[in-house]
Amino acid sequence: MTDLAAVAAPIAPVDTTRNKIAVRDLDFHYHDFHAVRKIRMDIPERRVTAIIGPSGCGKSTLLRVFNRIYSIYPKQRAEGDVLLDGENILDPGYSLNRLRSQVGMVFQKPVPFPMTIYENVAYGIRHHEVLSRARMDERVEQALRAAALWDEVKDKLKRSALGLSGGQQQRLCIARGIALRPQVLLLDEPTSALDPIATGRIEQLIEELKKDYTIVIVTHNMQQAARVSDFTAFMYMGELIEFGDTEKIFTKPDKQQTEDYITGRFG
Amino acid sequence: MSASVYRRRETKNVVAQILASSAALLALVFLAWILWVTVSRGVHAIGVPLFTRITAYADQGGLANAMVGSLIMDLMAIALCAPVGVLAGAHLAEYARGTRLGETIRFLNDILLSAPSIVLGLFVYVIFVLPMTALTNGTTTFSALAGSIALALIGLPVIVRTTDEMLQLVPSTLREAALSLGIPQWKLTVQVLMRAAGSGILTGVLLALARLAGETAPLLFTAFGNNYMTYSPLAKMASVPAAIYQYTNDPNPAMHAIAWAGALLITLFVLALSLLARALFSRKKTSHD
Repeated sequence: MTDLAAVAAPIAPVDTTRNKIAVRDLDFHYHDFHAVRKIRMDIPERRVTAIIGPSGCGKSTLLRVFNRIYSIYPKQRAEGDVLLDGENILDPGYSLNRLRSQVGMVFQKPVPFPMTIYENVAYGIRHHEVLSRARMDERVEQALRAAALWDEVKDKLKRSALGLSGGQQQRLCIARGIALRPQVLLLDEPTSALDPIATGRIEQLIEELKKDYTIVIVTHNMQQAARVSDFTAFMYMGELIEFGDTEKIFTKPDKQQTEDYITGRFG
Repeated sequence: MSASVYRRRETKNVVAQILASSAALLALVFLAWILWVTVSRGVHAIGVPLFTRITAYADQGGLANAMVGSLIMDLMAIALCAPVGVLAGAHLAEYARGTRLGETIRFLNDILLSAPSIVLGLFVYVIFVLPMTALTNGTTTFSALAGSIALALIGLPVIVRTTDEMLQLVPSTLREAALSLGIPQWKLTVQVLMRAAGSGILTGVLLALARLAGETAPLLFTAFGNNYMTYSPLAKMASVPAAIYQYTNDPNPAMHAIAWAGALLITLFVLALSLLARALFSRKKTSHD
């Protein structure tokens, strides 16, 4: 392994856009397992940032810090600073309600709520805003359109979401997330349970969504990272090894470890 | 490997299979036997008078007041234990996950689940019947309410256990998905998880009802029994299991026939509840796949 102290300096991709999330010296522990070590990275606004690395490298853990979803489990704790627009979201004073309305998340397996398609989208909105029926209908339609699902479900909004196909369910989950009009969208291996056609749809959608949202995607699929992301972070054993332009990471990475992983020599 | 080793393994496999199958068969034989005896002995006494006459008619009579009494007390018991049980189960599964308090409550609940029902009857006699008697100067002693409380104590741990288990079966990703939208824990529990586990929880309630509907011992010192039709929760009340117990102690064979008819009724009631519970549960499973 290379000397890890060498990567302790903040790593930011060269780009003109401003940074949405700044991670500073982040450590994460599962009980007594030190899963993420001294991460420093800047995630640019309205771009797609992919996090890649072998299983157990801490990439999902890192993602789960960005909306503090880990905090529902006792014995999991994060230390350091994660700044969202300059404010530290790890500060206990930072309202979870506010954080989660700004940072949406989509999970590996599609998890629609046991409700109608309409209610799946409206449920989250209703918790944060009081809207008239007509306004709510509008918001639900907008979200479903943005998730490229509207045309497939507009005639069956009152049917159970559990009847949709896996790919449709996943797009519904994306619609549910963006219905709250967040600024950041976290995608945790969003296509690993989907077939290639559904995967293609979601990837197209990511391309569309980055106009409005800052997207962070964790993926096992390196081709996917190469296709959808502007920037790629490579993690290994809880450390951020390299972070930069996706093209550069995939063509001439600075670190030997990155190259070994990308060329399939380990992982 | 040599052929003899395979032969030996195959023989062992056959022996194990025969043992398991015969054990299953033995259990089924007794179940069928019980059903057969109940049906063959009870079916003769089933007729209009069984449903219209009260137990005061004795061997000329029926079980009308006992059926009404059972229905009232069973429903009151479920009304008492279902809300408490579902909320307690939700506490265990959602709020007390992995805590020592949760583990302790779960353990105590399991003890309550296997507590002898006569003990629960005596407990309610001491904490409810005796104080009521003292408070009302003896005008209210045994009562349907006391009977319901005793039955509720039978049903409670069943509901706590099934609610806990059904909620734990809901994948944690559903919790994370709701929480990541900013939905608070209580809304998540009531509006998402209880809905996802709804048919499982309802099945638990039905099974609890089936369980407590057949109980006799908790009623002996609480509802006591009554030969007349009563509807007041503060009056002594008849019930089918208690009537069966009373009638089988009678030397008169005509009374035995009515007792068998009562036994058949309870069996059919429990069977119907179990079938309903099964139907509900299997429908839930298919709709999720």
